[in-house]
Amino acid sequence: MEFIAAGIAMAIAYEAMKGYALVKQRILLYLNLSFILLGAGLIVDGFSDGIIIFAKFHRAFLFLYTIGYTINFFAQLIAYGILVIVYIQQTRSFGTQIAMAALPIMFVQRNSFTELILVFLLVYISAQTAINYSVSKSTNTLLVFGAFSCLMFAHVLFLLYTLVPILFPFAQIAQLFGFLLLLAMLFRVNQAI
Amino acid sequence: MIETGVGTKPTTTKYRSQFRIYVDIMRVIQREGNETKPTRILYGANLSHDRLVKYLEELKALGVIQESIDEDKTYSLTQKGIEFLNDFRKVESFAGAFGFKL
Repeated sequence: MEFIAAGIAMAIAYEAMKGYALVKQRILLYLNLSFILLGAGLIVDGFSDGIIIFAKFHRAFLFLYTIGYTINFFAQLIAYGILVIVYIQQTRSFGTQIAMAALPIMFVQRNSFTELILVFLLVYISAQTAINYSVSKSTNTLLVFGAFSCLMFAHVLFLLYTLVPILFPFAQIAQLFGFLLLLAMLFRVNQAI
Repeated sequence: MIETGVGTKPTTTKYRSQFRIYVDIMRVIQREGNETKPTRILYGANLSHDRLVKYLEELKALGVIQESIDEDKTYSLTQKGIEFLNDFRKVESFAGAFGFKL
């Protein structure tokens, strides 16, 4: 599931890069960077999980889980952070500042604190995309709003997974569904002509 | 690709508006059946005469429009211009989905 989501993230990044090559607007470069990071993080996490499963959860490979999650967490943190900053600059509301400087530079386990940061960033992005939809009322903005809402919901489930382990597959499905909505938007954009 | 300098200073409105004017001019030409007189572009793109002349020269230099002088001077999009507008529409739609205005 993570590789499918990563593939979609890379497709979005490619589309943003194509757009940047055409119009040279930095906002598309930030979008490209954001989705490259999301895709790369998911690939690393997927590989580390895959190796652990392939090694039949042998104790010697379990450290890969932490490394994979750490890389994915920081990739998502930077990716969503970039989107939040871009949205803040777009709306000119400089009142909201993201306190990222306090993050410890160390390996992190999947825990409530790390997921809470991602949920916080995704709440802001989802709210902004909801405003975008309320203004434009277009299907594409609705799909993007739905996608980020699903990603936010996925991270809420990842947050609760530390308490209720059975939620993990549902979180993965919600994350995949979010990226599938972005893929649907990408298809619509490319078939619009 | 149209090199406009857009992106080198995205926070200034000068480059963005220049790019938007390019697109507006090209859209007016397309809307008018891909052959139109300068006066139609002038009103359609809401430009002064001096600025229109300047931008038309720049667009001609970029190879996205061409000028023909038969009885009247008219402008039309080149194949490169048509392709650029189609690609731009996709990029605009893509960026618009995220709420970004180009």
